[in-house]
Amino acid sequence: MSAAPRRAPRDPALAPAVLLIWVAVALFILYPLARLLALTFWDGGPSLAAVREVVAGWQHRRAFGNSLLLAALVGGAGTALGFAFALLAVRANLPRAVGIGLDAAVLLPLISPPFTAAIALIFALGPRGLISYHVFGITSLSIYGLPGTWLSETLTYFPIAYLTLKGVLANIDPNLEDGGFSLGARRWRVFRTVTVPLAAPGLANSFLLLSAASLADFATPLILGGTKFPVLPTQAFLQITGLYDMRGGAALSFLLLVPTLAIFAAQRWWTERRSVVTVTGKVGAATRGKSLSTGAVAALAALCALTVALVLTCYLLIAAASLVRALGADNRLSAAHYAHVFSGGLKAIRDTLVIAAVSMPVGGLFAVVLGFLVARTRFPGRRALEFAAMLNYALPGTIVGIAYLIAFNDPPLVLTGTAFILVACYVFRYSLAGTRATTALLAQIDPSIEEASASLGARRDVTFRRIVLPLIRPALLAGMTVLFIRAMTAISATIFLVSLQWSHVTVRILEGITNLELGQASAFSVLVILLVYAAVLFSNLVMRRLNAGGIGQGGTLLGG
Amino acid sequence: MSAPARPEGARLELVSVSKRFARSGQGVAAVSDVSLTVEPGELLTLLGPSGCGKTTTLRMVAGFEQPDGGRVLIDAQDVTGLMVYRRSIGFVFQNYALFPHLTVFDNVAYGLQVKRLDRATIREKVERVLALVGLPGYGGRFSNQLSGGEQQRVAVARAVVVEPRLLLFDEPLSNLDAKLRVQMREELSRLQRQLAITTIYVTHDQEEAMAISDRIAVMQAGRVAQVGTARELYGAPRSAFVAQFIGRVNLLSARVVRSAPGRAAVEVWGREVTVAAEPQAAAGQVVSLVLRPESVTLRPERAPLDGEEVTAIGVVRARMFLGEKVEYAVDVAGASLQVVSYDPLRHGLFDVGARVRIACAPVSLRLLGPEPLSG
Repeated sequence: MSAAPRRAPRDPALAPAVLLIWVAVALFILYPLARLLALTFWDGGPSLAAVREVVAGWQHRRAFGNSLLLAALVGGAGTALGFAFALLAVRANLPRAVGIGLDAAVLLPLISPPFTAAIALIFALGPRGLISYHVFGITSLSIYGLPGTWLSETLTYFPIAYLTLKGVLANIDPNLEDGGFSLGARRWRVFRTVTVPLAAPGLANSFLLLSAASLADFATPLILGGTKFPVLPTQAFLQITGLYDMRGGAALSFLLLVPTLAIFAAQRWWTERRSVVTVTGKVGAATRGKSLSTGAVAALAALCALTVALVLTCYLLIAAASLVRALGADNRLSAAHYAHVFSGGLKAIRDTLVIAAVSMPVGGLFAVVLGFLVARTRFPGRRALEFAAMLNYALPGTIVGIAYLIAFNDPPLVLTGTAFILVACYVFRYSLAGTRATTALLAQIDPSIEEASASLGARRDVTFRRIVLPLIRPALLAGMTVLFIRAMTAISATIFLVSLQWSHVTVRILEGITNLELGQASAFSVLVILLVYAAVLFSNLVMRRLNAGGIGQGGTLLGG
Repeated sequence: MSAPARPEGARLELVSVSKRFARSGQGVAAVSDVSLTVEPGELLTLLGPSGCGKTTTLRMVAGFEQPDGGRVLIDAQDVTGLMVYRRSIGFVFQNYALFPHLTVFDNVAYGLQVKRLDRATIREKVERVLALVGLPGYGGRFSNQLSGGEQQRVAVARAVVVEPRLLLFDEPLSNLDAKLRVQMREELSRLQRQLAITTIYVTHDQEEAMAISDRIAVMQAGRVAQVGTARELYGAPRSAFVAQFIGRVNLLSARVVRSAPGRAAVEVWGREVTVAAEPQAAAGQVVSLVLRPESVTLRPERAPLDGEEVTAIGVVRARMFLGEKVEYAVDVAGASLQVVSYDPLRHGLFDVGARVRIACAPVSLRLLGPEPLSG
């Protein structure tokens, strides 16, 4: 009898809320993108001149090719590495402590500021690198260009693949593999004919996620790619900041938009086919995974240990570099870098914290209200709103940054040079995690709870404030934590939006690197990492206190 | 109780209410043309199998669903387009729907706080209603510290404390175990009579419905099949559906010999019997007769005949001994007849394969109109 679909009558509080969200989305997501496209394709009339001009430049064509090549390489290598980690975590019957340690180490790159892996690789494998030169005495190794960028991005993004594939592998009913064994197949054959085909949609999804991340990455190629290996985001940046060519920058971001949308479409296609994986619903008795031989486990463990060691080395190098005069050249302890951070760098830190602190509640509330409207109410254009709201998240930061720069530099809405433009950028770019957490949480809360409130005389807005909001506090917290992490570590859009009045630590890190003050850059990085880690720990503590359960921490905090 | 207050029971009217749901592209009628009146202070149960539209009807009364057609009137006021929160109802959900982040006290106080009553009044009312439902001193607990029965009482307390014009129950006891269900339904019935709040109660359990209702509306496929007291529905079902849904039943096919207002002479088991018939049946028509299993008695084949009774000879096909009763399936005149015999220690048992004389009184036979019956 309870199968009846539920529809609430029209509520007077609903329309203003929907209108408010729509206005915000239109103003801060659709309007900038429209201005970007207008600048690219409109020059007193429809025109392809800007795009044609950009495509004519051989450097730009190379950047386009490089971006695609890098995306494919990072997608492939990162997925392979993530799959190795996931196999080890899910199928090798590791002790619990090792599993937790694995997760903690793998999380590190995901919440670090950009550049971290890149700077560390310069310290480790650069021309005077600690490993390459001081240990092995190699000087010819080139960390700049494609190989370094590839390695750095793979180390930065493979955790996304790991988290995705871990879920996929854990959802494969072990009985299916046992079924293969019972039919007389050997391990390798079961792996090839059962495990991999079942994980294939997950692998494809992970490849696409990583490719999109690589395509959007601005920081790593800026430092390690240089002029040898130009990619689209860095080209667009140089076009605007170096040549003051806004139209060219807009056209370059349009070039970046095309593969991004293709990946986006492909990913949707793949996720819709994913039904093969988790259909059984009832998972058979938890048998121990037997699909890995001892030798395979050992090989995987070695690979993963090596990767974890490399990641940890990177972070140790950053920490070390921040504490000595000049790592590799003058290894005497020194507090000079931190002294600089807390004097000359203080403004950037303060600005960043202020912007993050403002973005958190605003974005958290936006995320939660949007999630509630999408999950619990019916109104015309609901799907369109849902789609529009995730655009800024799905698009590379370079595109969003340039679009904001174009849109808010002149009337009707002049925001450049203010803190508001950075806040708006983070709120509308990084709220998606909170929205998803909200819809996931609401799916577990029976609508009758809200109906009970209505039956007791509470209007929809009262119900939202007094019943829904307290119940989805975990989602609000998760959303705000993600916003904090992103606001502390964002660079690709940020770099276009900072000003003399409002600076950002990640921009200071970048300046430190370009001015070859790597110690200072390291000190800034360490500070950001510590702040972000503290925020994650604090948030986990509060989450435990809220005791609402049901929220996967890693996945939700990082927003997928 | 003299308080929280003795609200004037409201009168509820549903005037040909209909609701369709879009399911896989096409509209499916969930409720069709339902008209009902619930008198002030009355407890009316909507009874029916799952999918019959009883919960949808209740939700339209509450305002959770908007009817596609028809009107809902409370005390002659048309509330069809009125938002839930302005209807002054108390709703008790199947899963209780207690606010998990609030204490028992705050759950019950919620409706009063929304009405902006002052603190002292709220405290007084909440404490009184908690005492009324048998949970004094439970105010500080959270719902996850309560048993199912206690959660149910909190849900009821929360619904009645606001002194609603209507009290609506949606299968409130279906999550409780059998024993507790019986105890709770008695308490609910007592509470409802004490407060005299007009009540609609939805259930699929006919025994529960018969135990607590002033009247029962049996629903079938989105329509009201019959409304009446438990006794009326059991004794004079107007359709095979109602007869089969309220209790168990044998339907005997019979031919009408003669017909008079309210009565008909029919031929059963080769004998002519005069039975109650409403609506009237035409002579020559083949109709169904209702015969409840417990109205049939079994005797040894050669037992002496009682002239008043309708009897026939049958063969026992199956027997189930259940302690306080024995259930038989007996083949009579080519059809299988259900028979329930109580106090078997006194009456003895008939073996499978035994030939028996079955007998029933003419008053136990009742004529059903031709199917389907109007609602």
